[in-house]
Amino acid sequence: MNDKDKLKDLIITNFLAIAAGLILSGLMLMLLHINPFTVFGDALHTMFTDKYTMGDVLLKATPLIFTALAFAFTFKANLFNIGAQGQFYMGAIVAIAASLKMDGVVPTPVLLLIVVVLTFVAGGLIGALIGFLKARYNANEFLVSMMSTYVVQALMNYLLRTFLLETKGEYPQTDAISREAWIPTLIPGTRLHWGFVLAVLVAVGVWILLYKTTLGYRIRAVGSNASASEKSGIKSKKVFVIAFFISGALAGMAGFTEINGVQHMLIQDFNTSIGSSGLGIAILANANPIGIIFASILFGALGVIGNLMGRMPGLNIPSSIVDLMQGFVMIFVIVSYFLRAWMANRREKRRLQKVVEK
Amino acid sequence: MVVSLLARALMMSTPLLLGSISEVIAERSGMMVTAIEGIFLMGAWGGFVGAYLTGSSFAGILLAMVCGLLMAGVYGFITIHLRQHQVVTGTALNILAAGLCTYLQRVLFGVPVSPLKISPLPKLAIPLLGDIPVIGEIFFRQNILTYLVYLIIPLSYFLLFKTSIGLTIRSTGENPEAVDVAGISVNKVRFLTVLAAGIMGGLAGAFYSVGYLGMFTSGMIGGRGWIAFAICFLGNWNPKGAVIGTLAFGFTEALAIYMQTVGGGSYFPNELFIALPYILTIVLTVARRNFNVPAQLGTPYSKEN
Repeated sequence: MNDKDKLKDLIITNFLAIAAGLILSGLMLMLLHINPFTVFGDALHTMFTDKYTMGDVLLKATPLIFTALAFAFTFKANLFNIGAQGQFYMGAIVAIAASLKMDGVVPTPVLLLIVVVLTFVAGGLIGALIGFLKARYNANEFLVSMMSTYVVQALMNYLLRTFLLETKGEYPQTDAISREAWIPTLIPGTRLHWGFVLAVLVAVGVWILLYKTTLGYRIRAVGSNASASEKSGIKSKKVFVIAFFISGALAGMAGFTEINGVQHMLIQDFNTSIGSSGLGIAILANANPIGIIFASILFGALGVIGNLMGRMPGLNIPSSIVDLMQGFVMIFVIVSYFLRAWMANRREKRRLQKVVEK
Repeated sequence: MVVSLLARALMMSTPLLLGSISEVIAERSGMMVTAIEGIFLMGAWGGFVGAYLTGSSFAGILLAMVCGLLMAGVYGFITIHLRQHQVVTGTALNILAAGLCTYLQRVLFGVPVSPLKISPLPKLAIPLLGDIPVIGEIFFRQNILTYLVYLIIPLSYFLLFKTSIGLTIRSTGENPEAVDVAGISVNKVRFLTVLAAGIMGGLAGAFYSVGYLGMFTSGMIGGRGWIAFAICFLGNWNPKGAVIGTLAFGFTEALAIYMQTVGGGSYFPNELFIALPYILTIVLTVARRNFNVPAQLGTPYSKEN
């Protein structure tokens, strides 16, 4: 079977999966006596014609690219980092603390550069700790990374009502940073900022790192067969720590784009579903860094469509329609993995049959 | 004070015990039920809906088990029959469950002016046993789901380690080829254990809505399914271990509440106690060296390889 067939299968099955997910969500809308065609039509029309809304799609995609890359990176080493949410929180904490400290003192480009490096390191250290526990004590990384999110969240809540508490002292949230510390806008008239470009560049960088460098080769080798790669001289323990450091660092950078690019302050229960959506996106894209860019934009679009629906007057569509659409699409995409394998199998059988008949 | 605290800790342990034992049974057959968070949530929702619409807690509990069963059925079908990744499928189903129950809640009840309430399960004092000082108050003045768990703990242990069914389940997780050669379908065993886990997980979810709070909110599970999942690991895939793990969790939770009430918050931040169960899990995961992981945990089975 050649690559062209594979790509064709991939595009067709993914397209069908997304369509099936949306159709099922549309049926759910009918339960509320809402005509899904007009609602989806209106939402799509607004999304594609309104510049501001289109910008929001990419804006929402930005942090998801980072958390999806975070999951995909360790996944290539057959490791599970499902703590991207916590690493994102760590990045967000560091981003807001550093930005508030340097706000108005340090020129914008220098400030942004320092913050991006700090978030990278902050998320990375959480990741590296998980990787270290895995390498040194053979601790189950799935469990440790999952639990780490709750610990970081508790730390964040503590800091929000103590060291990072706003000057007014009313709510558990930080002061807002001034315009000097914002990531500059990419397209005037939208909220879209340069963080999106950064995310795309990082995704390309991750692709190069994974497929064009020795480190990437080692990570993938450990992922496909740990004991064989150990015998060939790859130190798998070192790879665990490095892979987890980079993975955590990627999730940490989402903290940078969300704090300095969108929210400009840190609040309690900040973007609670970024980690799990990132995981879903990584699946959608088969953990391919370039595919992740497109899958993130799809998830961003689903989020925006859901918001648009919620704002339609008189219809009262609940915001949970977003989770519903994302959930259905993910389930069908997973099923499509099976379909692709089945189609490839059948094609191979037919080819063999032809060879035999000759 | 301490007695009521312990009684409360035991009550809060009920769903964790149900969940972790359900996970032990499924994982022994090689299936991680990563949809457990979603199963808990659907169970909580189903329990509330059943109890609210019929006025009977029993109907609620029944519907909760059906919801758990359905979630587990979808999970089992995709992971076992379609051979897809367990972590990945579970994550997708958890996201879907969060959307589904909030959405269906809206479809059924619109936007209610005041929160919808049902009467939570009553505390039943067992005659004689309930009158024993201290012990009676802690163990024998609980609701019916807690009593059910008292039965499930020894039964699940007996099932897994003393019966041929248990042997088959454990062999399926350790050496599926042998089970296959013996003429038993590996996939069928796995599917059945996942369904059983779904029923128990749904029951655990119902504990939060029907058994305890008497209402439903989409955030009411809040990671407790994952805690049950973690306890299964910490308990070394054994119902006995699950009991010890749950008690450790219950203890740290009770300690957190205790510290708050006696004003320990002025020395230690409250968030430290909230994080304590999670930190404890990490420490125990690191400290335990001799884990007894089922050899084929998470790997789909096919005859060809």
